[in-house]
Amino acid sequence: MNEDSLVPVLDVTNFSVDYGYGDDAVRAVSDVSFSLGRSQVLGVAGESGSGKSTLVYGLTRLLRAPGVITSGEVTLHLAGERNGEAFNVLTASEDELRQVRWSQVSIVMQSALNALNPLRRVGKEFDEVLRRHDRTSSKTARQERAIELLALVGLAADRLQRFPHELSGGQRQRVMIAMALALRPELVIMDEPTTALDVVTQREIVSELYELRQKLGFAMIFITHDLSLLVELADEIMVMYAGEIVERAPAVELHGAPRHPYTLGLMNSFPPLQGDRVRMTGIPGSPPNLKSPPGGCAFHPRCPSAHDRCRTQAPPLVAIEDGHRSVACWLHDSSSTEVVPVSLSRRAASRIGQGA
Amino acid sequence: MMEQVTRGDIVLEARGLSREFAGRNESGLFRKKRRVRAVDDVSITLRAGEVLAIVGESGSGKSVLARMLARIVVPTEGELLLRGELIALRERRTAAYAGEVQLVLQDPFASANPVRRVRHSLERPLLIHGTPKEDVVVRAREVLASVALTPQDEYLDRYPHELSGGQLQRVNIARGLSVNPKVLLADEPISMLDVSVRLGVLNLLRELCDTRLLAMMYITHDIASARYIADESAVMYAGQVVERARGTRVMDAPIHPYTQLLVDSVPNPEKLSKQSSPTAHNVDSTHFNYEGCRFSPRCPQVMDICRGNQPPEVDLGDGHMARCWLSASDAQRTAVKILAK
Ligand SMILES: Nc1ncnc2c1ncn2[C@@H]1O[C@H](COP(=O)(O)OP(=O)(O)OP(=O)(O)O)[C@@H](O)[C@H]1O
Ligand SMILES: Nc1ncnc2c1ncn2[C@@H]1O[C@H](COP(=O)(O)OP(=O)(O)OP(=O)(O)O)[C@@H](O)[C@H]1O
Ligand code: SF4
Ligand SMILES: [Mg+2]
Ligand SMILES: [Mg+2]
Repeated sequence: MNEDSLVPVLDVTNFSVDYGYGDDAVRAVSDVSFSLGRSQVLGVAGESGSGKSTLVYGLTRLLRAPGVITSGEVTLHLAGERNGEAFNVLTASEDELRQVRWSQVSIVMQSALNALNPLRRVGKEFDEVLRRHDRTSSKTARQERAIELLALVGLAADRLQRFPHELSGGQRQRVMIAMALALRPELVIMDEPTTALDVVTQREIVSELYELRQKLGFAMIFITHDLSLLVELADEIMVMYAGEIVERAPAVELHGAPRHPYTLGLMNSFPPLQGDRVRMTGIPGSPPNLKSPPGGCAFHPRCPSAHDRCRTQAPPLVAIEDGHRSVACWLHDSSSTEVVPVSLSRRAASRIGQGA
Repeated sequence: MMEQVTRGDIVLEARGLSREFAGRNESGLFRKKRRVRAVDDVSITLRAGEVLAIVGESGSGKSVLARMLARIVVPTEGELLLRGELIALRERRTAAYAGEVQLVLQDPFASANPVRRVRHSLERPLLIHGTPKEDVVVRAREVLASVALTPQDEYLDRYPHELSGGQLQRVNIARGLSVNPKVLLADEPISMLDVSVRLGVLNLLRELCDTRLLAMMYITHDIASARYIADESAVMYAGQVVERARGTRVMDAPIHPYTQLLVDSVPNPEKLSKQSSPTAHNVDSTHFNYEGCRFSPRCPQVMDICRGNQPPEVDLGDGHMARCWLSASDAQRTAVKILAK
């Protein structure tokens, strides 16, 4: 961890989002708090419907109706010309938001494959973004910058003349990433940027992102359901279940020694590419229905370690182990008398670095 | 009709299957008619009680292959043999064939009729195949039990939207099983499901294969899941099988440069190397090289011979095959040089 990482770019406290109003409201993100340091990569994992996209669309005020932010505070710590300014995202006007989008925070959306206007050449899209930022810039200067940006993600300059449908999925995704980096933002949010791509292309893009981050030093929130990918890419990982953060830890530690039964279950849901073939079980049952979430811990109907307390009381997210990681599970409560399974206990830490 | 099958018996065999489609030329007006070989000279064998995994990226021809085996798509070339008997591919698919070879599709939601209860979708194929009315109900309950949807009464009267994705995919599989097929072709059966329930469906497929001695083809783009479930794996690239081996050899000791790239690209926390090792040349994989090796435009180890000449299927022993000039024998290389003269 370098010193930069201690300077925050983003602070989120008690952030909640509902879809719908009144009795029909469904809580998609529930009381989420976290902060992210400069040039840190935060991975967000969790299965479909756990609220990953809703969280980041909410944070950036890109939520569409019937999505409503019902509580919380989001502070973006600006850099560059506005270095040191604490920007309150949730109270900002649309105008103020426009000034920080792209230049301070940018987002590559999950549906990025459709995010490009099909009737516009790629070059035109770049021009728009660059011009919005600096209206006095010359057309040639903007074009040069666009070419530079494409080169950054390994695309040739001629792609600027192309329409989106003339590019492969991987190339379109690269274009989106290049655009997100165009105005040198401090924070880049990527919502499943590689899920629709094959693994070879995914690998290329992920290594590019890794190198770009090293070179340009932006912080990143990277969303995917693929925990293994996050372990490689992220500094820290946050696991979401039913709209809540259930565990947060440094990536390597989370992988080597998960504390939440859901994290462990998620890890056991991906067959490994090496070692003996053994029968794995995944997670029993099905993901929760947010319309009628189970009482107590949302994971209890599927949890092998569920006990009485889990069925009635929701466990809070609390810091454990000197505060450098946190978990929301009664097993790790200091007053708990339950026997923690070895796979979730501190002893499991010996698995770190055991690799094949 | 009920013959005795033993594990390992060849049930369905494809020899040199190919399928061409009229290709579309990218840029507008002057459409050059280009033929696209979606599947090119594929030979595979499905055996009783075994899972053959077909691994490949999007567009590599996996679904077209499965649809040819199910006889929904007619091959342009090649032969199909069911229990050693040559199938007349030009003739209409018989009901008997449809009953014996069942296809389960990727999207459980798209392939379920939203206004029909589970009961209906299970009973319909049985009635079509002439099962007596009184047996139909019993049979529907049997197959539900075999995909672990019990108690059956809980599920029979539900509509698709009242089931989770994993449950619905189980119903789809149950429907495929209801007519007691010998071959199950599962085309990406888990890719649309939540990650936490995928293993449940994979385990189910494996169990069905073992207990019913089904010959199964498991199509996927996820090579790790193939390693988990398969007795034999074949890797497809641009319509061709480029590598094939029994057990986990394709993943553990890949020979073909594409398979190596594929294996290296899978996120692997155990390795924790943040950079990729050999990078492929970044080209649009839809631009196939029709003369030489299909992979040559992207291959990190490409040689001169690769660009102009189709590599042969090289037998590496123990049923391991790679279609690559790097593995070719001197004799095979010399043959090319002689031809070139
Ligand atoms: N427009 C909407 N109206 C009502 N509910 C919604 C809407 N959009 C999302 N939801 C619900 O909110 C929950 C969280 O959805 P979200 O898209 O954030 O999940 P996710 O974790 O991004 O999932 P995925 O991995 O599938 O992208 C889900 O239960 C979803 O059904
Ligand atoms: N009916 C058709 N007409 C024309 N081309 C077709 C047709 N069906 C498939 N193709 C082409 O054949 C190739 C192989 O397609 P196929 O659907 O078999 O790929 P796949 O390996 O199943 O991919 P995915 O992983 O995306 O499902 C593709 O290039 C596709 O565009
Ligand atoms: S035949 Fe040549 S081009 Fe094709 S994969 Fe092998 S080495 Fe590469
Ligand atoms: Mg999402
Ligand atoms: Mg397909």
